[in-house]
Amino acid sequence: MRTAYKVLAYLVAAEVAIQAMVMVWGIAGLGKWVDGGGVFDKAVIESEGAPPFPEVVGILVHGINGLFVIPGLALLLLIVSFFTKVRGAIKWAVVVLLLVVVQGQLGELGHDLPLAGALHGLNALALFGAAIYAGRRLRAVAVGVEQPEARAATPV
Amino acid sequence: MAGHSRRQPPRVGANAHSGWVLRVALPVVATLSIVGPLAWLWQDSRVPAAYSVMDMGYPDYGMGTVPDTSGGGGHGGHMQGQMPDHDMPTPRLVTDMIADPARPADIRVDLVIRQQMLTVAGRSIAGFTVNGTSPGPQILARQGQLVEVHLRNESVADGVTLHWHGVDVPNAMDGVAGVTQDAVPVGGEFTYRFVAKQAGTYWYHSHQVSNPQVAGGLLGSLVVTPKSGIVQQVDVTAVAHTYGGMRTINGKAEDFRVPARAGQRVRIRVTNTDNGPMKIWTGGSYRLLAVDVTDVHQPTDVSDRSLTLTAGGRADLEVTAPSDGTAVRVQLSKATAVIIGPPGVDVPVPPQPASELDLLAYGTPAPLGFDPAHPTRRFEYRIGRRPGFVKGRPGLWWSINGRLFPHVPMYVVREGDVVVMHIENHTGEVHPMHLHGHHEVVLARNGVAASGSPWWVDSLNVPPGESYDIAFMANNPGIWMDHCHNLKHAAQGMIAHLMYEGLDTPYRIAGPADNQPE
Repeated sequence: MRTAYKVLAYLVAAEVAIQAMVMVWGIAGLGKWVDGGGVFDKAVIESEGAPPFPEVVGILVHGINGLFVIPGLALLLLIVSFFTKVRGAIKWAVVVLLLVVVQGQLGELGHDLPLAGALHGLNALALFGAAIYAGRRLRAVAVGVEQPEARAATPV
Repeated sequence: MAGHSRRQPPRVGANAHSGWVLRVALPVVATLSIVGPLAWLWQDSRVPAAYSVMDMGYPDYGMGTVPDTSGGGGHGGHMQGQMPDHDMPTPRLVTDMIADPARPADIRVDLVIRQQMLTVAGRSIAGFTVNGTSPGPQILARQGQLVEVHLRNESVADGVTLHWHGVDVPNAMDGVAGVTQDAVPVGGEFTYRFVAKQAGTYWYHSHQVSNPQVAGGLLGSLVVTPKSGIVQQVDVTAVAHTYGGMRTINGKAEDFRVPARAGQRVRIRVTNTDNGPMKIWTGGSYRLLAVDVTDVHQPTDVSDRSLTLTAGGRADLEVTAPSDGTAVRVQLSKATAVIIGPPGVDVPVPPQPASELDLLAYGTPAPLGFDPAHPTRRFEYRIGRRPGFVKGRPGLWWSINGRLFPHVPMYVVREGDVVVMHIENHTGEVHPMHLHGHHEVVLARNGVAASGSPWWVDSLNVPPGESYDIAFMANNPGIWMDHCHNLKHAAQGMIAHLMYEGLDTPYRIAGPADNQPE
């Protein structure tokens, strides 16, 4: 379960990195397409069929990751944390999940209030940091429990 | 766990038991406390294999009269997939709401629908045609004529219907699969009959699996000219549609040239068949003659202001060909334009105006024909977005009055009611709200009362954070969709219905005909 916890925490962090990458990739593709004379508006966004420019896939992936994959991973992390029996594991899983919820809210709010999009970018760093810390912390604790155990064996 | 045993005394008896509870039971309980509610929400969101729209959600009587029996038409207020309770007085059926069957048709049109590849700007796109083209043929009628359209589905595997967008048809002719008819299967036929009572610009499109079918071009224009004729010398229709990301006018991914001599007045009937709003602007000035189908009262010339045409909406513009022999561009978004003037003369794309025409204060007031100050029903249509399950699928879904599909309101009215509805958009996306079978007048936006011409719509652009108060007369009995015409949103559950008490439908959503109106 500890391994699962670590893997899930690092997956969340990796997904945050992927989110940043695909979004900038998509926007760069949009910029290039517009530069070539393309017109991007609501009708094109909502249009079915072939994408107007290939990098639009990045924006779609961002949506799917943010809507389903990352919340799913964060939820699994919390469930797994119940079984790790490591002090603080639940707390940090909760922190990661809360940051994911906040991130989703900021992302959604950014559609109407673009400034929320700036906080979405900032909160991504907090989420990345929390997920890395949760994973590394567990590793440290896992190592740490061996040491006090050894000391405990010595007469007090 | 080793770390715990170090700090705790040796466990025997009750202590060992509580240790077991802590170690095994608590995590399991904690897990169930997360998974359990999710599982409940999941099962609660599922819909039966066949269900009546009458069993969707809950009745909302809008602070008006509540019928003696629960709904009269058998509104169950639950999603058990049960048939309505037939102990109640026999309800009238939507199929009874038809045009006078004895009256011969003035106009007869045969439409054959096919599923086939389309060629747009040299690219091949999977789509649909009506009589071999997309958009389909324009149906032209004169006010007061009885239009009869005979539909045949030649090859659309999912089945088709035709909805007459903006026409206040008798309910049985509304073309909503699973509500007013069954989807027409391959080889099947259906005849639509309605009187074109009001002159104006309309369009028709499928209302079966409507999101991919409309996006794929299963649509066409319907124009009803007034008995008195029009004053403009040139009358053209510009159907804007985006095929696979390519903007088109009347099916062509290029500017639409309208030959006109200097000084000629041109009426342009712009129809937005896409899922999002479209900006319209011109190099010179324009006059907005009609919104959806209703004439603007005393419209004035507009310049340096764009017009926002909502998804599904229509705008009749008047533009005069320049007197100096040049041409004028009417931009339908930045990508396409209607160019009016002598053939071959071009003009540069005019810059998009920073401000837009406010229809709340355009034109001058005129009588509405009814008094919305004393409504008999008051409804709320609050649009939100929240995580949850719809039809068993997790996601971030549109909510209506806080609830997700299918737990949406059924707005119940009685014929003759004066209905006021308050619409609020609490989401980050614009919603083009479309009520079938009726036209509604805008009373106020964000609490500011309308001060211009009566602003009648069947498709209303509701941007994020905005609210509208609208009113209409309940004068067309039936069961009518009241939904978002971003058809993706409709497919995601942004659908409610307006029903007249004492009515029922024999049709089922899904079921043997596989009716999927969204």
